[in-house]
Amino acid sequence: MSEIDLLKHSLQSLNCGIALADPETWQIHFENAKFFRWFPPLMDSDECLERRLQTLDADRAKRWLRDVRPFIWETDVRDGARTVNLSVELRPERLDDRDYLLIQCHNVSKLRQTEYMLESYSRMVEKNTRALEREKERAEKLLLNVMPRCVYEEMKDFGTATPQRFDEASVLMLDFVDFTEMAISRDPSTLIAELNDIFSAFDRIVDLFDCDRIKTIGDAYIAVSGLPDANADHACNIAKVALRMRRYLERRNASHPTQWKCRIGIATGPIIGSLVGIRNYVYDVFGPAVNLAARLESACAPMQIIVSERTADTIRDDFMITMCGERALKGFGTQTLLALNDEAPAVQARLCSPCLPAARIA
Amino acid sequence: MAASIFDRCGGFASVHRVVSAFYDKVLDSDRLADHFVDVSMPDLIDHQAKFVAQVMGGPVLFSDDHLRTVHAHLGINQAEFREAAALLREAFEDFDIDPADIARIMQEIGNREALIVTRR
Repeated sequence: MSEIDLLKHSLQSLNCGIALADPETWQIHFENAKFFRWFPPLMDSDECLERRLQTLDADRAKRWLRDVRPFIWETDVRDGARTVNLSVELRPERLDDRDYLLIQCHNVSKLRQTEYMLESYSRMVEKNTRALEREKERAEKLLLNVMPRCVYEEMKDFGTATPQRFDEASVLMLDFVDFTEMAISRDPSTLIAELNDIFSAFDRIVDLFDCDRIKTIGDAYIAVSGLPDANADHACNIAKVALRMRRYLERRNASHPTQWKCRIGIATGPIIGSLVGIRNYVYDVFGPAVNLAARLESACAPMQIIVSERTADTIRDDFMITMCGERALKGFGTQTLLALNDEAPAVQARLCSPCLPAARIA
Repeated sequence: MAASIFDRCGGFASVHRVVSAFYDKVLDSDRLADHFVDVSMPDLIDHQAKFVAQVMGGPVLFSDDHLRTVHAHLGINQAEFREAAALLREAFEDFDIDPADIARIMQEIGNREALIVTRR
C-alpha cells in the first residue's frame, strides 16, 4: 500500500468526521466514512456542503470564514439507533498552494452526558442541602423550645453547657386551681386542647416582655426574666406578664364554659440556670427564688398573684400591691404575702389616658 | 459504619461512567436498541446512574412505586430485562469492580425485575 493509500485508509477509519470542501462553492472534494455516516447526502451524489450540514447557519459561518476565523457549532445527528452530539468545526486551510475548507466533526456525546450529570447531581445536592437545612432549622427550633439560644449555641459548639448563676432574676410559677378534678371530670382531649391554647397565649405574652418560658409540668407554667440575658427590668417584666396572663384568663372565662382559675407566685433573687440530663436534657432553673415562687403560688387564692417581698421592693413604684397577711412557708419561715393587683395608674397613664396618682402598699 | 459499594466504587462519577458504557452496549444490542429510539440519552443515563447508585447504597431513593410507574408504559419483557442486566454486569466487569460487589448489585437489580418487566 502506498503512503497516500495508507493515509486515505487511516482517514477513512478515523472515529471523527473529516471532509475537505472548496472554500468558494462548498463542493465536497473528500469525506471520510464517519462524515458520510453523520451527514449523508439527501439525494444521490449531493456534494454541496451546505445541504449536507442541515443545521448550519451558513451565512454566519461564511462571515467567520471570510475573516479567516474557524467556525464551530454543535448539532445532533443520527448514528444508527443513537443520537450523537457533534461539535463541528469549519476552518480555512491551505494545502499544496490551494485553499480548502476543512470540516472536522467530533463526537461530544459523552462530554454532554457528563455535563448533564454534573448539573443534575448539583441540583440533587442542592435539594438535599436545602432539605438538610430545613431539618436543621426544625431541630434547632425544637431545641430552642427547651433551652435558651445562648445555651443551645454553647451546646452546639462545645457539646456541653455549664450551669450559670444569675444574681438578679425573677421567676413566675403558675398553676390552675382544681386542674386535677377538671382532668378527671372532663374529656381529656378537649381539656388538653384548651390548656394548649392557654399556654400558647402565655408563651406569646412571655415573648412580648422579653421573658422566657422554662417549662410546663402538667398544668404548671414556669417563666423567668433576667436570664440568660441580664435585664434590669426583670421584676417589672415578669409582673407585667403575670397581670396579662390573669387578664387573658378573665377574658377567656367570660366567653367560655370552662373556667380556668390560676394562681401565680413571683419571687426575685439569685437563680441558677442549667441543662439537666445527658440524652433527654432539659434547661431548668434552681435556687431559693424558684422554691419561694412555688410556695407563694400555693399560698394564692384563685386568680391571685402573690409576689415576694424582694420582688415587691423592686417593682413597688410601678405597680399596685396589697399586703394580705403573713404565712409560714415551708423552708422560708413566716413571709408577708403581697398581692399584685395591677400596674400603678401613673404607669397606666403613661400608656393610656391621664389618671389620678395611685395608692401603693396598703 | 462500613462504606457502601457506592462509596467503595468511587461515587457518582464512577457509577456514571459504568452506566454510560452500559448504554453503549445497550444501543449495540439488536434486542434492546429499539427501546431507545428518540430517547434523550443524557436524561436516561442520569436517571439510570441514580438508580444504580441507589442499589449500590448511594444517596438516592427511588421508591418501588416510582419504578413501577416509570416502566409501566415501556412494555419491557423478561428477555429484554435479563439481557440489559447481563450488559450491565459486563459494564461493571469492564470497570474492574469487585465480583462480590457486582453480584450484590445484580441481585438488588434482579429483585426489582417485577417492577420493570411489564410484558410477558
